[in-house]
Order: sequence, then C-alpha cells, then structure tokens
Amino acid sequence: MADSMAEPIVHIRDLNSWYGRGKDRKQVLRGVSLDLAPGEALGIVGESGSGKSTLAKCVLGMVTDITGELAVNSPRPQMVFQDPYGSLNPAKKVGWILEEPLRAAGVKDREERRRRVAKFLSLVGLEEGHLGRRPAQLSGGQRQRVAIAAALIQGSRLIVLDEPVSALDVTLQAQILRLLADLKEELGLSYLFISHDLAVVYQLCGRVAVMTGGEIVEEGDVDEIYDHPKHPYTKKLLEASLTLD
Amino acid sequence: MVFARQRKQADTKNRKQKNWYLTIGIVLTACMLIFITVGFFWTPYKPSALSAADREAAPSLRHLFGCDQMGRDVFSRTLEGAGSTLTIALAVLAVGAVCGLVIGALCGYYGGRLDALIMRLCDAVAAFPSVLLALVVLAVTGPGKYNVIGALGVLFIPSFARLVRGEFLKYRDRDFVQSARLMGVGDLRIIFVHILPNIWPVLLSGLTIGFNNAVLAEASMSYLGIGVSPTEPSLGYMLKDAQGVFFTLPWCTAFPAAVAILLILGMGMVGEGIRERMGVAS
Repeated sequence: MADSMAEPIVHIRDLNSWYGRGKDRKQVLRGVSLDLAPGEALGIVGESGSGKSTLAKCVLGMVTDITGELAVNSPRPQMVFQDPYGSLNPAKKVGWILEEPLRAAGVKDREERRRRVAKFLSLVGLEEGHLGRRPAQLSGGQRQRVAIAAALIQGSRLIVLDEPVSALDVTLQAQILRLLADLKEELGLSYLFISHDLAVVYQLCGRVAVMTGGEIVEEGDVDEIYDHPKHPYTKKLLEASLTLD
Repeated sequence: MVFARQRKQADTKNRKQKNWYLTIGIVLTACMLIFITVGFFWTPYKPSALSAADREAAPSLRHLFGCDQMGRDVFSRTLEGAGSTLTIALAVLAVGAVCGLVIGALCGYYGGRLDALIMRLCDAVAAFPSVLLALVVLAVTGPGKYNVIGALGVLFIPSFARLVRGEFLKYRDRDFVQSARLMGVGDLRIIFVHILPNIWPVLLSGLTIGFNNAVLAEASMSYLGIGVSPTEPSLGYMLKDAQGVFFTLPWCTAFPAAVAILLILGMGMVGEGIRERMGVAS
C-alpha cells in the first residue's frame, strides 16, 4: 500500500471545514489528513455528527468553507446515497435516470447513450426490462443498483459511498457489498466508504479511519484496528458493534 | 399485519370512492367544453340579432333559453358569452401560471435575498382584494379584453409563485437533486426537467383553483361594467345586462349563471379529484 501512495486519488492535509455563517459558524472538521490510493477502499467510521459526511461533501466539492489542502484526482467524483428512495428522481424512469449523467457529460448520440446504459445495467445486475420502470416500481435493492449504475456511468474513478447499505436488510446488504467489491475490481474504482457500521466496513474496505468530533483519531489496516484498537473511542465503537452482533 | 392490511384496504376503498370527484368532474368539464366549442362555430341565431316578434319570449323549442327584452336569443348569447368567458379565464390563467411558475421556481430553488424581496412583493400584491386592484388598473388603462387579461393575469401571479416556491423548497435539497448537481447538470435543467415533473400534481390542482377564480374574477369585472366590451358579451356581462329583468324574465339570468356554475363546479371537482388521488392535503 505504501508504494501506491505515490499518486493518491484523494490527497487531504490539515483540512478544516465550517458549517453556517457569522455567529452560527461551527467548525466541523479539525485538521483532517488522509490519502486514498487508486483502487483502494477506505472506510470512514464514526457516529452521526462526527464529521464523516462533511468530509465526504468536501471531497465532492459540495462544501466550500474550507482551509487546508484538498486534491481530488478524478473527474467528477460521484456519490451513492444512503436512502435509495430519495436518491432517484421519482418522476422519471430508470432508462432516463441512467441516461441523464451521460447527457450531462455531453454524450449527444442517443445510440451511444443506450449502449452504455445497457452495459452498466448488466454490470449492476439489472435487466433491460427495468429501464421502463419508475423507482417506485423497484425494490430497495434494485433502486440501490440503479443509483450505483448512475454514479458509475460517467466514468468516475472515485465513488463516495454514504452508508449505501444501511437502509437495506441484511441479505440485500451482503449482495450490494459483493456487487460493490466486484465493480471495484472490474473498473479499478476507489471508494470512500462512510459508515457507522464497523461490520459492513470490514467486508469492503482494506483501510479504515475512525472519526470523532471532526478529527481522525485512528487510522490503519482494518485487521489491525479491529484486533488491536488503540484509541478509546475505537474500542467503544467496536464493543457497540459486537454487542449488536 | 392484519391491522395494516385492513387499513390498506380501507385506504384503497376510500380512494376509489373519492375518485368519483375526478370522474364526474372530467365528464362535466368535457360537456361544458363541448358546449362552448360548439358556440365558437355555430349558434342557432346571431347572438346580437334583435327580433321584435320574440321579445321576452319564454324558453321553448324555438328559443331553448328564451329571449331577452330586446328579442335576442339567450341560448345563442350564452354560447357566445361562455366562449368569451372561457377564453379570458384561460388567458388570465396562462399569464398568471407561467409567470408564477418561473418566479416561484427560481425563488424556491435559489432562495436568498432576492427570494425574500420578491416574496414580500407578492405578499403586498396579494394583500389587496384582487378585483379592487384590477379595477384600479383598468381605471388607468381603460376597459377591453386584453387589459382585463393583463390586469387579472398579474394579480394571479403571487398565488402561483407561492405554491411553486413551496414545492421547490421541498425538493431542492433532495438527494436526487444533489446527485444531479454532482453529475454536472445545469441549474435550469435541474429546475425544469428534474424537479418540475415532480410538482405537476400540485400545480395541476392549483391550476383548477386558479381557473375557477379567473372565471369568477372575469364575471365580477364584467358585472361591474369594466370588463369586456358590450359587443362581445361574457357570462358576467349578461348577468349585469339582465339584472333589471331578474323577476320578469328569470331565464335571462338563470341560464348564463347555470353555465358559469357548471363550468366552475366541473373544474373544482377535477381539482379535488387530483388532490385526493395524489394524496395532497387540500
């Protein structure tokens, strides 16, 4: 892993970020530093309010009130949202939803768009028949597959996954996680995986960063952190997830 | 589970029952539209033709709605009047809805100071009784079809703008909108292609209410004598014309009024039906 650090796809040093304006301006990120290598999946773990979602938004360029170094070495990084019911336009059909990123990217040729949609549709395990349906006519798992296809179709190499399986039941979680792992291998993607669920992170990520209070308190290989947590907060998180299992 | 299923059944049953609104509304509105469309092309008599022999004739097979004190056929005049009322109402609605939609969409999506300013302006316009304000405008510009349309149209903007703005506020931070932004979709395309289709049901029921208000507003204006010109009577103008003979020739007021009522009732039921069907609280 150390060699691939040479040219990281995400490079962050001493990143500070604020929320709100004037008197209400609150610091959300405090001196965050991390690197994400191409083809790597990095888990960011922490409870709600720890700043992990803000960190994701910074990487996506959705938060502008920042100081520090932030370099993203991928065209248009995309995001897969937690709630597959809210991330797909309810008024549109799946075919349209998948073609829209291509239209936005300037793919004018209709046949070309159709061809690419068909390709990504099969990549995420859906069929031609799904193209004519609206999100309301799909199951939660199918919707998340559509959302993943839409995120990938522009050819982004960096995908931010914001709790992508938290809204799904356990069997579906396993399916979607396997799909994400396969896609990562096949397309050479890098993932920034935001989650509060350590078990899920363990299945997909090689490295994990633990966040609390806007800081990264511990970072390293998943096995290392799961077996020998150093920071008390990491221990607390691990204990919580173990009791749930 | 059993409870949930029973409730679901009750819900769908309710929904089916309430869809009668939509069915009856559409049938009624369709009938009125056919009636009015016929009037555009054909009337049994020339609406302005005077006939001394038929003065004050009661409704009969020769004159379905009777004749007025000058011997004009009320049926023919109602056909023409309803046509002119409908045209004006639709034009008013078009002005109000299109402007309101654009203003509301931009305000709701972008927010900020301009939004606050425009909304206060809308409040100010909406605070005046609309007919009164239209009276003032027409007093300055003079009566006439196009002035009526312009004056009423402007007054209809605030209600549409507020309706559309509220919906856009609801949608602008949804995940699918953020996702579109990340993909590099332009703001205008997000507003009109991504968000707008989602608010159609709300907009549609707003349009039916607006249509009814426009019919009523036009009728009030004509009744007050500042609406359309006498050569091109509307339903409101006919009511004004016939108020002197309300008791002696009741058919002169009853039939135009009935047509106006049916037109509004039909549209109102369509709107109610849409709201029920979409589960939008009225």
